[in-house]
Amino acid sequence: METVFISKLKPFLDAIAEQMDLYVPKKVGQHFVYSKYDPSAGTTVEFNNIRTCTPIKEFLLPLCELAAVFPEPLEPEDIKPFAVFGLKDCDLRSIEILDKVFLEEEFEDPFYVTRREKMFIISSDCFEPGESCCCDLFGGQPFAQSGFDLNVSKIRDGFIIEAGSEKGQGLIEQHAQLFTDVPETLLAERDENRARTQKQLEQNNAEYKLDAPVNEVIENSPDSDVFDIESQKCVECQACTRVCPTCHCFYLYDTKQKDYFAKMKMWDSCMRVGYAAVAGDENPRRMLGDRIKHRLMHKFSFFFDRYGIDMCVGCGRCIDADSHKMDIRVVLKKLNEELKDKPKAKIAK
Amino acid sequence: MSQNPYQPVIGEIVDIIDESPTIKTFVVVPEEKIKFETGQFVELTLPGVGEAPFTPSSSPADSEKMEITIMKAGLVTNLLHECKKGQKVGIRGPYGNGYPIDDFVGKYIYIVAGGVGLAPMRSLFLTLVDRIKDFKSVVCRLGARTPDDFIYKKTLFDSWQKIAGVNMKLTVDEANGGWKGKGKVGVVTTICEKKDVDTKNAVAVICGPPIMMKFATFKVVEFGFKPEDIYLSMEKNMSCGIGKCGHCMIGKYYVCKDGPVFTYDQIKNYPNIWD
Repeated sequence: METVFISKLKPFLDAIAEQMDLYVPKKVGQHFVYSKYDPSAGTTVEFNNIRTCTPIKEFLLPLCELAAVFPEPLEPEDIKPFAVFGLKDCDLRSIEILDKVFLEEEFEDPFYVTRREKMFIISSDCFEPGESCCCDLFGGQPFAQSGFDLNVSKIRDGFIIEAGSEKGQGLIEQHAQLFTDVPETLLAERDENRARTQKQLEQNNAEYKLDAPVNEVIENSPDSDVFDIESQKCVECQACTRVCPTCHCFYLYDTKQKDYFAKMKMWDSCMRVGYAAVAGDENPRRMLGDRIKHRLMHKFSFFFDRYGIDMCVGCGRCIDADSHKMDIRVVLKKLNEELKDKPKAKIAK
Repeated sequence: MSQNPYQPVIGEIVDIIDESPTIKTFVVVPEEKIKFETGQFVELTLPGVGEAPFTPSSSPADSEKMEITIMKAGLVTNLLHECKKGQKVGIRGPYGNGYPIDDFVGKYIYIVAGGVGLAPMRSLFLTLVDRIKDFKSVVCRLGARTPDDFIYKKTLFDSWQKIAGVNMKLTVDEANGGWKGKGKVGVVTTICEKKDVDTKNAVAVICGPPIMMKFATFKVVEFGFKPEDIYLSMEKNMSCGIGKCGHCMIGKYYVCKDGPVFTYDQIKNYPNIWD
């Protein structure tokens, strides 16, 4: 796989946009959100220092989509290839998590499969981490190592582009005239940048470091009061689950159209009171504290038990989205402190 | 292209049997044969209205049609109760695991069920009866709110009780005039006794409303059943049926995929399992 240099992003992105729809981060207020790239608009290309505020799952699991039509069955539409620029390591890891659920299980989700196959991923290194960024606490780092087709590292005089897949390599070869070789000195500059960002992150999050692996902290806290106490800050807006790039719950519902019936799939949230309710008004998680506990247990215990990885990438989107600043780092730290004082019964598996 | 797991098979309701004031059995013939194991469930769609999970109450041996016994308990089930013969429905599945019948061979099978929980038990019962000689005995302790609320009355009060190898007792919370001689009065745990089976060589199968399942489980534990020998048919909010949408989780398990049949041992330490 090749690593090459380019001094400006625009010709590179223009070349990609010629082949497929390209989505790039666009600054709106304080945050980055995705919008379709228009080569003819002549706008400056923005390099997002950190992840966008909206989650990457939007590209793979739309907020709402048609899942079935009957009496005549529905097959997934043929989707054109598309590219997304500016994914960070946390975003790539969130895709790895979604893949576990929607690709590797006994039942594949054909709509996810189609989009996933058609998605061309261009990741980029982080710069100046945000206040809520905490990937270092959850096994990540501020630059991508795998899971991308191309990765872009910003350096002082341009960009280093590395291929991470055959598709990415092919694209570099196809547009060889745009790129030059990368001297060792520039690679060294990239590595320094990465180390500096990593250090910044670790400094920002030093106070939240746990004494034990997060799975252990969660699994030893089933009876903790922390969930109920924290729930007093929560207004049940469900924003945390909407912006979370790994939360993937959905609601399947039926609709009636003029000449057919349809099943729709829409994002759902385990923070919603009726989420787990069954007929006859039974509800295992009527209390908000129980729902917060379930969410964290799913992320750090149940998912880990099933797939061997945590269902949190430390992107910090939930921290930014919470109007009352419930901070997952603080909740975990509180559980950690509580365990120091009083060892609790571990949930059996 | 993989098959779309959200796409239902079309079926037709060919008969509707009134079981109790709130429960009906719908006989459904799917356009494509649906093979299931007893204990597995299907997602039944009332087109344009909604979908809900049900464990078929008929024997898996009948591959032509499927019977689904449904209590009026919410939006979909209320509207299903208003349906007439000929209504088209959608069926997805079967999903989840069934009862590991082969593991039951040579043992007592202690079935404790209540209310509409008799529906999945009927499918299991018919499957067991088909090979009754394989088991030590099938012991049933069944309850309902009133005699009217018992489902499958015709067979339950008569032919099923006469099957050799079956030992059946019934109870109701509240009796009426016609109940005398048919069973006891009291919640279902009041007709469960330690001497009913040899717990060292038995499995318990429990199905019913959550509160009944909770106390029946505690009761059989008290009798000496090991948690790994107690099979529970769990009802959670199974929606997608394929372990993705998240609604039916009990701890790390998706009830739709890893259940709906669990041993008590698998789930006993997770929070809120009976709610």
